[in-house]
Amino acid sequence: MERRDFLKASAMAAATAAATRAFDKESHAADAPGKDDVRWDKAPCRFCGTGCHVQVGVKGGRVVAIAGDQKAEVNKGLLCVKGYHVGLALYGGDRLTRPLLKKDGVFKPISWDEAIDIIARRALANPAGFAVYGSGQWTIPEGYAANKLVKAGLTSNQIDPNARLCMASAVTGFISTYGVDEPAGCYDDLDRCDVVILWGNNPAEMHPVLFSRIIDRRSRGEEVTLIDINTRRTRSTAFCQHALTFKPNTDLAIALGIMHLLVEKGTYDKGFVEKFCNFRQRTEPPTLDGKAMTFEEFRKALGDYTPEKVEEISGVPAEKIRLLGDLFGRRDLKITSLWCMGMNQHTRGTAINDLVHGVHLLSGHFGKPGDAPTSLTGQPSACGTVREVGTLAHALPGGLVVTKDEHRKEAEEIWNLPAGRINPKPGYHTVEMWRRFCKPADQGGDIDTIWVQVTNPGQSLPNTNEIFYPSRKIPGKFLIVSDVYPTETVRNADLVLPSAMWVEKNGMVGNSERRTQQWFKMVEPPGEARDDCWQLIAVARRLFELGHPGMKDKDGNFLFSMRKDGREVPVWDFKHYYDINVDQQLFEEYRKFTRFKHKDLAPYDEYTRARGLRWPVVQQKDGSWRETRFRFARFDDPYAVKEEIQFYHSVTKDDRALIWFHPQEPAPESPDKDYPFWLCTGRVVEHWHTGTMTMRIPQLRTAMPQAYVEMHRDDARRLGISNGEVVIVESRRGRVEMPAWIDGRGQPPPGSLFVPFFDETVLINRVTLDAHDPLSKQPDYKKCAVRVLRKEPPGRTP
Amino acid sequence: MMISGLVVTLAEDPRQQTLALDALRRDARIQLGEGAGRKLPVVVETTTAEESTALVEALGCAAGVDFVDVIYVDFSGTSGAGA
Ligand code: SF4
Repeated sequence: MERRDFLKASAMAAATAAATRAFDKESHAADAPGKDDVRWDKAPCRFCGTGCHVQVGVKGGRVVAIAGDQKAEVNKGLLCVKGYHVGLALYGGDRLTRPLLKKDGVFKPISWDEAIDIIARRALANPAGFAVYGSGQWTIPEGYAANKLVKAGLTSNQIDPNARLCMASAVTGFISTYGVDEPAGCYDDLDRCDVVILWGNNPAEMHPVLFSRIIDRRSRGEEVTLIDINTRRTRSTAFCQHALTFKPNTDLAIALGIMHLLVEKGTYDKGFVEKFCNFRQRTEPPTLDGKAMTFEEFRKALGDYTPEKVEEISGVPAEKIRLLGDLFGRRDLKITSLWCMGMNQHTRGTAINDLVHGVHLLSGHFGKPGDAPTSLTGQPSACGTVREVGTLAHALPGGLVVTKDEHRKEAEEIWNLPAGRINPKPGYHTVEMWRRFCKPADQGGDIDTIWVQVTNPGQSLPNTNEIFYPSRKIPGKFLIVSDVYPTETVRNADLVLPSAMWVEKNGMVGNSERRTQQWFKMVEPPGEARDDCWQLIAVARRLFELGHPGMKDKDGNFLFSMRKDGREVPVWDFKHYYDINVDQQLFEEYRKFTRFKHKDLAPYDEYTRARGLRWPVVQQKDGSWRETRFRFARFDDPYAVKEEIQFYHSVTKDDRALIWFHPQEPAPESPDKDYPFWLCTGRVVEHWHTGTMTMRIPQLRTAMPQAYVEMHRDDARRLGISNGEVVIVESRRGRVEMPAWIDGRGQPPPGSLFVPFFDETVLINRVTLDAHDPLSKQPDYKKCAVRVLRKEPPGRTP
Repeated sequence: MMISGLVVTLAEDPRQQTLALDALRRDARIQLGEGAGRKLPVVVETTTAEESTALVEALGCAAGVDFVDVIYVDFSGTSGAGA
């Protein structure tokens, strides 16, 4: 058989297996693609938080083929357009391959020893002003190492991740409702529900494989009702039976309208509410605990939100609010809500998260397969590395926080630190960290060094004209960036470190459904590129050598000391980094934290065999490890033992969840006569976030080469703008140029615009607003006021 | 040369399905497999990766096709990514 025939036979076998087995509950996993001279191994996809597994084909030291992993429960062999091109993300022509130091505005290659020494000396000179800015794309061991370096070593707590920008409001929503983070349900809900409600969510583009899982049920003749609650029509809308387009920032009113109907019509689930819920309202200033309210007070507060009133506020017809109220009022249906950035990137992000949980709790659509409020994450390990490892400025691993004495004590014990080592004061959240980096020291700018890993804040922070670029002009501010390609952040850096990526290193991540996944290194990184985790350990070791006291535990040993056969392995020396499995060492230590909040993880080896396991993963009497699909539900969660539902981390310590009341309020910035349009930013299916990887994959770049501004044809006609014409989008903070796309892929209503942020030639975050939620500190990228100008209208110069 | 394995989900309407199948059969780059319900496995062979992407996009929008999932890609015969 010729190679070509062999490949075609392999492709047909994989497609046939997927077609016949996809989503068949009785199916057994198919084998890896056919045997050739290609070596196959499993890895999660590098891109989104769906967490699909791929089979990676390696030949001659290069990744040469990608197949959907038939054994993976998440994707059952399927991949989206990004996933099947993921192997090519390694092979862009401009990979960073040497450490580079900027001198007189020009990057000059330096050695790794010099680079590590420079970083360590910056940290030593001012530990409190040295911050690490990380990522939901850090692997779990990388994030854990960074967290330990900053919280156990430098003791400044100055670490925060880009995930602050994408899911912090989901975290505060879960904690304020259930007392503990992360969804109770999982993707299995999508196979069992009768109704899916998309709250400002576009999974056809952002989580395509999950969306395909829902659509696939329809193709098998099952009835699934999809309802799209949106501010613009998207690819997902086309598949939905109902589309409710609301005025930006009025989603709270819609949720309150549903609650109003449930209470007034008496269709709420009285038994569930009386047994498992308490009511809560906010305080001033707002807190995650709020203050108690009675059911009668709750009912009264909802009184204003009649369907007609909600229509007036949101623009959604009253009959559609009644449709939602009726659906939630039915006990014979299973309802799953999905959301992502639309609800999280919101100055009322915690409030709208609380309200959607509240709608499910009030109606009893909770805790049964198919009945779940489920937030989706954008990054492959926003859950695993940020929420679980606790790389946020206030957090410790396993759901612990630096502000609680007993939590610090537990962490000090696990890390073998002297008592009192961990600082009780949280570090700065993302916006504050970068704001302080952009101010001189004598004006409160107490952050003088930021080390960025696995993210591109120069393109992804909001309002970059105010919270990114000014730092580049202030003497003494030093930006270190570890990355794989030259990005906007890299170009603005003082020191650049070339990193290994994806299957060029070992890794572990955690997806949106609490699933922890693992893979092994398969190919070598190019040039001198090295693992991010090694970079962190090497800097810690250099600090240890320079005498920083925080780099020693209470017995005087190096914080990252790893032993094999009784002897210390010098993992800080890259020659010896793979003499021991560093990921395994760090993960086994991290695992000790996970029992405090019932987020138990299995030993590392279990993950080498599985396509991920959903926590809590608990050992059975026969020694096997069992994952949990439905948290808080006695039939599945080993920690729910008292009632059929037990919220065992309840804020009110009585095993009950909280149903919150939050009023509808105006946005911090709304269109006016000078800036008459709403601007919403977001993603497209072809590109992943800032496009660092996907814009280097020719197929994806060709498919979507450039950012654009979507606008309604009536607005375009009124302004005399034609399709494809280059226009200026301008806010009070900045302006960018891009072509207009009328009747494009997404369709905003009149008065609204949409611009994707993947394109580094169209830096839309020069325009956005950095106003953020008071609790989650997550900025609102979905709503600010802008105007659109033709490039050369009479009397104006761009 | 670029080879991909796809699963094409055909529309519910039998007339639409026939339209889609006729169009697929007419394209020499596409080899049809044994269908399972509305799920049809196909293999696509193109000269370049760009052509493959364009073809998959076009298939997704074709009459009688509800959805296209790509589940296998071999790009060892392409020149790889560029900057
Ligand atoms: S849906 Fe997400 S995880 Fe799955 S293949 Fe696509 S980008 Fe990768």
